[in-house]
Amino acid sequence: MDATVLIGSAFALFAIGLYCVSKSNMIRILLGIEMILNAGNLLFVYFASVNTAANVVDPVGQSIVFMSIVTGGCVVAVGLALIVNAYKQFKTTDARELRRLRW
Amino acid sequence: MVISTQLYFLFAPILMGIIGLLADKMKAPKLRDAAAVLASLWGVVSVWMLYNSGPAAGEILVFSIGGNPPLGACFEIDMMSIYMAFSATLLGFLVTVYSYSYMEHDTRLTEYYALLSALVIGMVGVAFAGDMFTMFLFWEMMGIASYSLVSFRKDSPGPIEAGFKYMVMGSVGSTILFFGVALLYGMTGTVNFAQMSSVLHGSPMNMWLLLVLALMIIGFGVKSAIVPMHTWLPDAHPEAPSTISAMLSGMLIETALYALTRVIYTLFEPSVFSSTMAVLAFITMTVANITALRQTDLKRMLAYSSVAQVGYMLVGVSAGSVAGISALLMHVFNHSLMKGLAFLSAGSLVHEANTREIDELKGIGRVMPITTLTLFIALLGLGGVPGTGGYISKLFLFSSAIPAGFVWLTVLGVLNSAFSMGYYLVTMYKLISQPTEKVTGLHEAPVAMLLVTVVLAILVIWSGVLPATVINAAQAGAKALVENLANYVGAIL
Repeated sequence: MDATVLIGSAFALFAIGLYCVSKSNMIRILLGIEMILNAGNLLFVYFASVNTAANVVDPVGQSIVFMSIVTGGCVVAVGLALIVNAYKQFKTTDARELRRLRW
Repeated sequence: MVISTQLYFLFAPILMGIIGLLADKMKAPKLRDAAAVLASLWGVVSVWMLYNSGPAAGEILVFSIGGNPPLGACFEIDMMSIYMAFSATLLGFLVTVYSYSYMEHDTRLTEYYALLSALVIGMVGVAFAGDMFTMFLFWEMMGIASYSLVSFRKDSPGPIEAGFKYMVMGSVGSTILFFGVALLYGMTGTVNFAQMSSVLHGSPMNMWLLLVLALMIIGFGVKSAIVPMHTWLPDAHPEAPSTISAMLSGMLIETALYALTRVIYTLFEPSVFSSTMAVLAFITMTVANITALRQTDLKRMLAYSSVAQVGYMLVGVSAGSVAGISALLMHVFNHSLMKGLAFLSAGSLVHEANTREIDELKGIGRVMPITTLTLFIALLGLGGVPGTGGYISKLFLFSSAIPAGFVWLTVLGVLNSAFSMGYYLVTMYKLISQPTEKVTGLHEAPVAMLLVTVVLAILVIWSGVLPATVINAAQAGAKALVENLANYVGAIL
């Protein structure tokens, strides 16, 4: 497929992720983080298919994507645990309400 | 797939979790504490053994898994990696000993020790990594362990809020970093430092390389608390347990700075980024010092002081020479001792007095003299008073900027350093002034905590009075990165 389209869509995903992170809902922030990570994954998958040697897709890029999905899962698990605890403490999932600490 | 016996200590977190669970089942908490101390000591001994098996003589050790480096993941250990790993494991060992008394009233200590071990091993892994992806995995391991540890006391709102903020900023930073790694992979077809360096080092800059450089500075800069990406730090450090503050402030931000230095020095010429780093250094130290002045919370003040110290260390990165990097490494070691000591002593005070406000701690120096004395040594070291390690490394840091052509940075750095004494001295004055009713009746901290702070205070003074050992080790590390980059690349190719 066309390189411009694939790399462009990775950058678009990156931008959408950053937009989501700037929002106030905690779950949405977490999904935004996942989107930025997946933009990176998409680039790795695409570049692995470009860096072919002897008609084999580069295994380095592919294995990196698997491992990064795993670490992304760990980050989401910790993040969800924090959101549950934040809900217990503050009775909301609005990140703007978490403003006891300033300066 | 053979792993050298000297690297077995990287499995310590898993082992620690299993031993902790068994100890919980057997209702033997002492077994768990002893295992934690032994596991952290194991790290120090293993790093020492690795040092003697090659890097001491200037060799570079390469360990790889899953094929030779272009295919497999690898550790590439030179003197600079050993230096960082030794600082991390040493501080980790002292913090674990201190935790024995400090955390005894907390529950869930199995998780605590396993995560603390994972934090230390993550730092060691970042220091040893020979390719971007190994570095990223250990980076996430360090990050995830620290997010959980910051919000360890989850029953109060402060740690949860600080932990959430840190989690969001930290993981956005590491995903941005991952995006940068993906672009680098597209440009060079590999993630190995040595191979990337042989393709990119010295090549003319284009738009994509500048984008990668910016993504790297942002991605690593979030964890190393470079202003304006520092806002998580003053929340996370005071709210975490003091042992964790000492680990985060003493080693985590420096490990991030190490990773930044390693990557940008391996991939780019110093002339590409040195002015950017000089400006960031100036902004970081000035903003942090001015904000630290208006803090009333002891640990929060120390947290801002950490941001300022990162600014001083960036002076060394911007110099782009052996002198700059060796000064950076010296300050990393001295700062890990001084800030570790400051947070642990402050932790003892907070542990006994149950408040973090400096005004409520007034006069506590008269009832807890030894702990307060060690805190004074740490604060004087952070301010750069002669006779402490901080003086030596600041002298080298600021003088390294002059040959690089940043005389303005040297002047501003020295002024900032003098300005920072403003808040250290006020704090010291308040701690020994007339006691309030709240602090009379308190007594000295438990023996294990006292012992660790005294040992750290002796180390701070030792590195200030007899600095030759630290200077030689730091210069060997800096030469391995800057002058002998060809050896580092040649060890893989």
